Amino acid sequence: MSNPEEERELDRLLAGTPEEMGARAPSSLKARLYSALVKEQQSSGPLASLDETVASGFGICVFEKLVQIAPLGESAKSRFFCRVCHARVLGEAFDNAPIYWPHCPYVAFKG
Amino acid sequence: MTSLAQIPAGGEPAESPEALLVAAVLRRDRKATAEFVSCCSDWIYPVVRRGLMPRTDMVEDVMQEILLSAWRNLASFRREAGLRSWILGIARHKIEDYYRKRIRQAEVQEDDATAGDLAPSLQFDTPLDGTVDEDRVQRTLARLPEAYGLALTWRYRDGKSLRDMAELTGKTEKAIERLLARARESFKKRWNDEQS
Repeated sequence: MSNPEEERELDRLLAGTPEEMGARAPSSLKARLYSALVKEQQSSGPLASLDETVASGFGICVFEKLVQIAPLGESAKSRFFCRVCHARVLGEAFDNAPIYWPHCPYVAFKG
Repeated sequence: MTSLAQIPAGGEPAESPEALLVAAVLRRDRKATAEFVSCCSDWIYPVVRRGLMPRTDMVEDVMQEILLSAWRNLASFRREAGLRSWILGIARHKIEDYYRKRIRQAEVQEDDATAGDLAPSLQFDTPLDGTVDEDRVQRTLARLPEAYGLALTWRYRDGKSLRDMAELTGKTEKAIERLLARARESFKKRWNDEQS
């Protein structure tokens, strides 16, 4: 059993752990979490196609636009193209990565 | 989430941006998923980081577990609760799971420890001047066996009772008391070692 003085001292020392409320998640962490979540989504079915994404009001990046206008089937347009994009690699590795494409999620994570 | 607010509602009743986001994520829309990850990460990051301190190396694993769990259960999300409250609830549950598993595993370490090796009672050298050296507290916790640090944090920072800790870890109150006694001794030794 501990003594009351010791209990009080531990209460005082440990209760003060800083809250850090309001701290935002680092962009590289968001990038890795996003890639992992999309991978999980793909394990249970195809992603929404780029046409559906655009119809929902979202912007797509220049590379996705090229795929969208290409004469390809729906299944080809449902792939996760970021998987082979350098922006993903940089975004996952660095906070404030040197990537600037409009409508790229890895750029948006930089906030 | 602002971009979702721009989605035309057509002839249907207007949906909140949050409801639209959830619906789009359920359709596996990659851009909606990115927005979902971005806002949810910002909400849970400070909670997870604080919950796991000083073991910040585990933050990413736990956050990933939270987001994957949220995705798997998103269809059962009730919008009245609000997405933020909902995901924070999952986060707290996962953090508690982490504590529970690690402290449960500590049984083996405890059994392996030499019987009767409790150090004589030590006194904290630092005067009670009302200020706490946070860095030193975190450094000291980081140098403890993980289960000791978690047990102390659960008990003294989060105010968990012995009974709650016992129930959550499947241990007896006596076992938790023993674990805490060892953890306190270990903490005091390292705290005072740094001072001397």
